[in-house]
Amino acid sequence: MTAPATTDTEHDDVVAAPDEGGRAPARRYGLAALAVMVVVGLLLGYAGGLLTPRLVRPGDSSVEAGFARDMTTHHAQAVEMSLIAYRSATLPEVRQIAVDIATGQQGEIGAMQTWLREWGLSPTGSKPPMSWMSDGATVKDGLMPGMATPQQMASLRDAKGIEVDRQFLKLMYDHHLGGIHMIDAALGETDHAEVVRVAQTMKNTQQTELNNLRQLQAQAKG
Amino acid sequence: MSISTPGGPERRPTVVSTGKKPAAGRPASGAKAGTGKPAATPRAGGKGPRKPVTPVKVSQGRAWGPIALFVTVGVLAAGIIGYGAWASFQGSKPWDKKANAIDGIVNIRKTDKTSLEYESHKSGPLTYKYSPPVGGVHNAAWQNCMGDVYDAPIANEHAVHSLEHGAVWITYRPDLPKDQVEKLAGKVRGVEKMLMSPYEGLDKPISLQAWGYQLKVDNADDKRIDEFIKDLRVNASVEGPTALCNTGITATGTTPRELQQQPPTQ
Repeated sequence: MTAPATTDTEHDDVVAAPDEGGRAPARRYGLAALAVMVVVGLLLGYAGGLLTPRLVRPGDSSVEAGFARDMTTHHAQAVEMSLIAYRSATLPEVRQIAVDIATGQQGEIGAMQTWLREWGLSPTGSKPPMSWMSDGATVKDGLMPGMATPQQMASLRDAKGIEVDRQFLKLMYDHHLGGIHMIDAALGETDHAEVVRVAQTMKNTQQTELNNLRQLQAQAKG
Repeated sequence: MSISTPGGPERRPTVVSTGKKPAAGRPASGAKAGTGKPAATPRAGGKGPRKPVTPVKVSQGRAWGPIALFVTVGVLAAGIIGYGAWASFQGSKPWDKKANAIDGIVNIRKTDKTSLEYESHKSGPLTYKYSPPVGGVHNAAWQNCMGDVYDAPIANEHAVHSLEHGAVWITYRPDLPKDQVEKLAGKVRGVEKMLMSPYEGLDKPISLQAWGYQLKVDNADDKRIDEFIKDLRVNASVEGPTALCNTGITATGTTPRELQQQPPTQ
């Protein structure tokens, strides 16, 4: 109703009237369309920002998830043997390094479990342990590289006196060697910044501890 | 239609008169506004006399309102988003970048990396290149750093091990006024990965250490103290955020202690 009215009225206004009557609504619709586009664009960007981390985070069969799960298992045994040594070892230096390893690795377990939860993954995997490692690490009787056998753990629990120190130092030395092997495999296959950062700290710490364990082995022999 | 029809006749004289006298356009547009037309139409009528120019001028004038609105909203939005992005970027800047931005901090990790390297724990007294030391070889035992405020000097050989575990070690000249010592202690007590002790022979009243970092200041009110603690506590740990500060040496004295032989509990 208004459109013809306007045209009608301004028709006599020579060029101005029809020209203007045709432009004004178009411009209004243009502005509205622009506003809608901006809003839609912002919403799309927001949705993209929300979805991207979900789409790019490590998946269930990723190296990162495999490392987090298996290193948790690996660390858990180190915590157990370290706490045995903390309670029962003779040399104070051995008890000291043992409690440091126990709490440090328990802390790292916490970090790795948090990754899995943040990635929306289960702490338990459907694949056999170590299958994320491409260089074919050997799993013997369900044990990852460097892990103590049930017999070795039983022996450590039953040991008395300086024998606790000796067994612990040997077991933990091998444990760290296997752990570093796994960390190297993960570092070689992931570029996930947080995983790389934590894995690198783990590796540096365990390498220093290897030196300290070897030094204590010499001390415990005497 | 019924509105436009009376407007039509009214209009015709308007156009005619404005064609002769521009002044007549104004009353005409005023009259037209009374007809309830869109505000733009009277304006077009008012500027009728300059016929070829009119359409262009009108369209330009009409767009300014929305443009101004959009620009204002746009600038505001960009400003808010920009500030948010900047603030979150600042907040998520890596700790080492923040630490390096502290005025007067010495970053030994950069300037003298080799002084921090070591093979394994070493017992007994050790010599250090920096005073107070900021890293390097140390004893097997660490100084307890669970917010411990020591009232006498402690052994470097233990304190350096605490630094390795991510502690910030505040040292002060024994002649520092009591109220300032108390101010420093307030930043330490009850906070894990913090320890504090007097230190003989300091070249400045207060010196702060983290693994590979040092900052010397004159006054306990210096704002950089809090920055140093915020940026480097825990972060400077060589062994991750959960390296131990408990079960350490709690005794004072600058001679390093051998760990006490305790009877095993089993």
